[in-house]
Amino acid sequence: MKKIVVVLAAFLLIGAMVGMASTVVEETIGTIATLDPAWGYDTSSGEAIWQLYDNLIQYKGSSLTEFLPMISTNIPNAKDGTILDNGKTYIFHIRQGVYFHNGDILTPEDVKYSFERTIIFDRAGGPTWMLAEPLLEEINGSYVDSLTQWAKKLAGVKSYSDLFLKGTKTPKNVQSRKALIDAFNMLDKEFEIKGNDLIIHLPHAYPPFLFILAHGANWSAIIDRKWAIENGAWDGKANDWWIYHNPTREKDPLYSIEDGSGPFTLDRWTKGREIVFKRFDEYWGGPAKIEYGVIRRVTEFTTRKLDLMRGNADTIYVPQQYMSQVENLSGVTVIKNLPELVIDNIFFNWNINSKGNPYIGSGKLDGKGIPSNFFSNIDVRKAFAYLFPYKTYIKQVLNGQALTPNGCIPKGMLGYDSKVPPTYHQDLAKATEYFKKAYNGELWNKGFKMTIVYNSGNVARRTSCEMIKAFARRINPKFKVDISSELWASFLDDYLAGKLPLFSLGWLADYPDPYDFAQPYYGSNGAYGSTLGKNYIAWAKKNMDGLINESMKTTDPEKRAAIYKELNVKAYDIAYGIWTDQPLGHHVQRNDLKGWYYNAMRPGIDFYSLSK
Amino acid sequence: MASFIIRRILLLPVTLLGLTFLIFFFTSFLSPYQLLSAYVQDPRQLQGGNVEKLIDKYGLRENFMIRYGKWLGQISHGNLGWSLSLNEPVSVVIEQRFPATLELTIYAIIPVIFVGIWLGVVASVHHNGVIDQILRVFALLGYSIPAFVLGLLILFIFYGVLGWLPPGRLDQWAQMIFFSKNFHHYTGLATIDALLNGNIPIFLDALKHLISPILTLSYLSWAGLLRITRSSMLESLGQDYIRTARAKGLSEKMIVNKHARRNALIPATTVAGLMFIGMLGGVIITETIFNYPGIGSFAAQAATQFDYAGILGVALVYGLVTIIGNLIVDISYAMIDPRVRLG
Repeated sequence: MKKIVVVLAAFLLIGAMVGMASTVVEETIGTIATLDPAWGYDTSSGEAIWQLYDNLIQYKGSSLTEFLPMISTNIPNAKDGTILDNGKTYIFHIRQGVYFHNGDILTPEDVKYSFERTIIFDRAGGPTWMLAEPLLEEINGSYVDSLTQWAKKLAGVKSYSDLFLKGTKTPKNVQSRKALIDAFNMLDKEFEIKGNDLIIHLPHAYPPFLFILAHGANWSAIIDRKWAIENGAWDGKANDWWIYHNPTREKDPLYSIEDGSGPFTLDRWTKGREIVFKRFDEYWGGPAKIEYGVIRRVTEFTTRKLDLMRGNADTIYVPQQYMSQVENLSGVTVIKNLPELVIDNIFFNWNINSKGNPYIGSGKLDGKGIPSNFFSNIDVRKAFAYLFPYKTYIKQVLNGQALTPNGCIPKGMLGYDSKVPPTYHQDLAKATEYFKKAYNGELWNKGFKMTIVYNSGNVARRTSCEMIKAFARRINPKFKVDISSELWASFLDDYLAGKLPLFSLGWLADYPDPYDFAQPYYGSNGAYGSTLGKNYIAWAKKNMDGLINESMKTTDPEKRAAIYKELNVKAYDIAYGIWTDQPLGHHVQRNDLKGWYYNAMRPGIDFYSLSK
Repeated sequence: MASFIIRRILLLPVTLLGLTFLIFFFTSFLSPYQLLSAYVQDPRQLQGGNVEKLIDKYGLRENFMIRYGKWLGQISHGNLGWSLSLNEPVSVVIEQRFPATLELTIYAIIPVIFVGIWLGVVASVHHNGVIDQILRVFALLGYSIPAFVLGLLILFIFYGVLGWLPPGRLDQWAQMIFFSKNFHHYTGLATIDALLNGNIPIFLDALKHLISPILTLSYLSWAGLLRITRSSMLESLGQDYIRTARAKGLSEKMIVNKHARRNALIPATTVAGLMFIGMLGGVIITETIFNYPGIGSFAAQAATQFDYAGILGVALVYGLVTIIGNLIVDISYAMIDPRVRLG
C-alpha cells in the first residue's frame, strides 16, 4: 500500500513538473468575449486573438512608432514608393509560404477578405469604425464609420432599417438592393491585388492608418477566407453582405473557433474560465519556445497570489492597491512605471438634464442645489480644476503610479508636450477666487449642493469624489457635495440620460495616435464630447472640430503635433475637466519567466516571446 | 404517498413559471439604458448612434411581457438563451458547471451529516460537561466565522504554507488529460469520470482539489447541524419513554443510539436536506475563493453583469433543485417518522 502511494505521488509530481516547464500560465480577471477578430473590442478578447492571428505589420518591441514586418514583408513608406498619392495608396508585399492553422496557405485574397469582413460585420458597439473611417469615402466632409451610412445615402432613406422589409434582412425593393450592393462595391474598389501585392487605395489620407493595421488591432487580423466561408461567415459576395451585418454574438459563427496564422493554435477554451493555446509548429516566424500558453480567470486576488507563490501561475494581474503584497515576494519580479496609454478625467456636464434628477438638489442657485447649466460657467469649472489635489491623489490613492496629464494626449504620444499647456494643480486660493467670481459672488454667498456619482467598486474614483467633497467644504462650508455609488447599470443609465453633474471616466488607446484621444474627448460628436451637454457641443463645433479634422488632413507629424497641442491649450483655457491621471502600469511575474517586454498597445502578454 | 409525489411534481412547472415571471417582472422596472449595461462594458462602445442601435438590436425597449413571451418560446424549443457573462448558451454553462457543484455538494454533505449529527449527539450526551462546552464554542465559531475568512484561512494554510491543497478543480497537467479527446466524460463529475476512465492520478488530483472547499463547507454547516441535533437529542432524552427505557435497565448506549437518536434525527434530516439543497444551488463564496467552476460562481457573475439569461437559467436550476429536494426531504421525513403521513 505504501509503495502504491509513493508511486502515485511521484506520478502526480512528475506530471505537474513536466507540464509546467513548457507551459506559461497567466492568471487575470477579464472574461474573453470572443475569438472573432471582427467582434472583439475588449482587452481580454484582444489578448487571445493576439496569440492566434497575425496582422500585416507589428510594433517593434516596446516601440509605438516603429514597425516590423509580419504578414506583409514590408512596412509601407513614402521613401521606397510603397506609400503613394500623399498617403492615400499603400502597397503591402504579402509574405509567401505562410500557413493557417488548418494548413491553408495565406494569400492577399485572405487579407482583403478579412478587412472587408470587419467592415460589413460592423456589430453595434464594436471596433469596425476604426477600419471604416480610413476605407470609406467621406460624406459631406465627415468620416463614415459604417458601410450602412453609404447604403442609406445611396438609397436616399433616413434609416438603415428602411432598406429592408420590416423585421427582416430582405431588401425592400430593387433600389434598396442596388444601394446595398453599390455601397459594398465602393469599398471593394479600394482593394487591388497585383500578384503577391495588396494595394489599398484610401479615399482620403488617414495618418494613423498603419496603427490601425498593426498587430494588437484585432479588427485587422487576417483570417482564412476559405475556412471562414465554410464555417458560415460572410461568403465574400456583394449581393448578400447585409445578411452578415451586425449579428448577435450567438449568431456569429467564428466567435469560438479560429484559423489564424499566429504562433499558437486554440487547444481549448472553457468560457469564463480558461483558454489554452498550443504551439503552432509551422509558424512562419519559427515555433514558439513554450508548448502551451494558458490564460486563466481567477477573480480572487489571494488565490492568484498564492498560485504565483507556488509556481502554479507564471504571471498574475495585481490591482494597484495590492502591489505592496507582491513587491517583496521571493522568486517574484515586479516591473513598475510602465506608462499606459490611458487618460482618466473627471468630466463637467455643461447642461445637466434636470428632469427627475436627484443629483442637483433644487436645480437652482439657492444653496440647496445647482442649476442645470452650472458647469457651463467657466469660473465654476476653473474653481473645481484648482480644487482637486492632483499630487495627493496620485501619491496616496494610486501609490505614486501615475502622471498628471495636461490634456487628453498621453505622455509618449505625438502632440504631447509636458509644458504646454501647463497642468492644473491644487491651489485653494485660486479656487476660492474663481468660486467668488462665479455668478457675480452669488454662488459664494448662497453655496451649492450636488451629488457626485461614481460606479461602485472603483476605489480610486470614490476617493477622488471624497477629495472634491472635502476640499469644497473646506473652502466654503456652504458648498455641500454628496457622494453616491451606483452599479454600472444605474451609472450608465444616468450617464446616458445626462443626469450626472460630474463623472469620472477614462479612455484607453485604440491605437497610439492622438486623434484617438482628441476626437472622443474634444469632438462635438466624440464619445465623451457629445455627452457634455449642448453648450459644450456648440463650443466644440466652433473651436475644436475644425482643428480635429485638420489634424487628419495632413500626414506631416510636426503639423499634426502642433494642432494637438493647440487643442490641449484650448481645453486648458476652458478648464475642460479635471485631468486626474495617466496611470503607470506594472507587471508581476515569477523570476524564471523570460522574454517579457512591455508594449502599451499590446493587450495582455505575448506568449510567443516567452520561455522558462 | 404516490398521489402526494405526483401532485408535487405537477406543481413544478407552475412554480418555475411563477419564478421566471417574477424575474422578468422585476426587469420591467429597469430602463433600456440599464438593460443596455449588459452589452456595454466601456463607454467607447457608445460612440456615434450605437446606443440606439444596441437598444433596437436587442429589443430593450420591448415590454417585459413580450420579452417573457419570447423567452418562453425559446424555452419550449429547449433553448435557455445566451449567457452574456460567459458567452455561450446557458444550457451549456449549466451542463458544464452543475456537475462540478453536484460533485462538491455530494462530497461535502457526507462529512456534514455524519460528523454534524455525531457531534450533536456527543454534545447532548455530555450535556453541560466539558465536551459539550467545547463543542458549543466550536459551533459558535462555525456560526460566526464568515465563509470568505475561513476559506482564505484554509487556502493560506493548506496551499500557501504547506502547498498541499491547491485551488481550482484540477491541476494544469490533469486538465490537459481531462479535457483531451481520449478522456470520456460520462457524468461530468471529475472523480467519477476519472475512475470510469481508469485514471487514478486524475481521481486523486480531483480529490485533492475538493478537500479545501469541503472543509470550508463542512465547518460552516457542522455548526448548524450540531446545534439542531443537540437540542433535539436533549428533548428526546428528557422524554418519558427514555425514562422508561432507563427504568427497564437498558444500557445508556442502547438508549442513546436506538431510542433517542432516531427521534432526534427528524429535525436534523430536514436541516441536512435543506443544506444539501442550498449547496446544490451554488456556494458562491466558497467557489469563488477556491476558483471552483461551479454554478455558484456563475450565478454571481451573471448577477453582477446583468446577464438575465444566465440569471434565469440559474433560477430554473435552483427552483428545480429546491422543489425536488424538498420533496425528497418530505418523503424521507415520513420514512423516519412513521407518525408522519403524506396525503
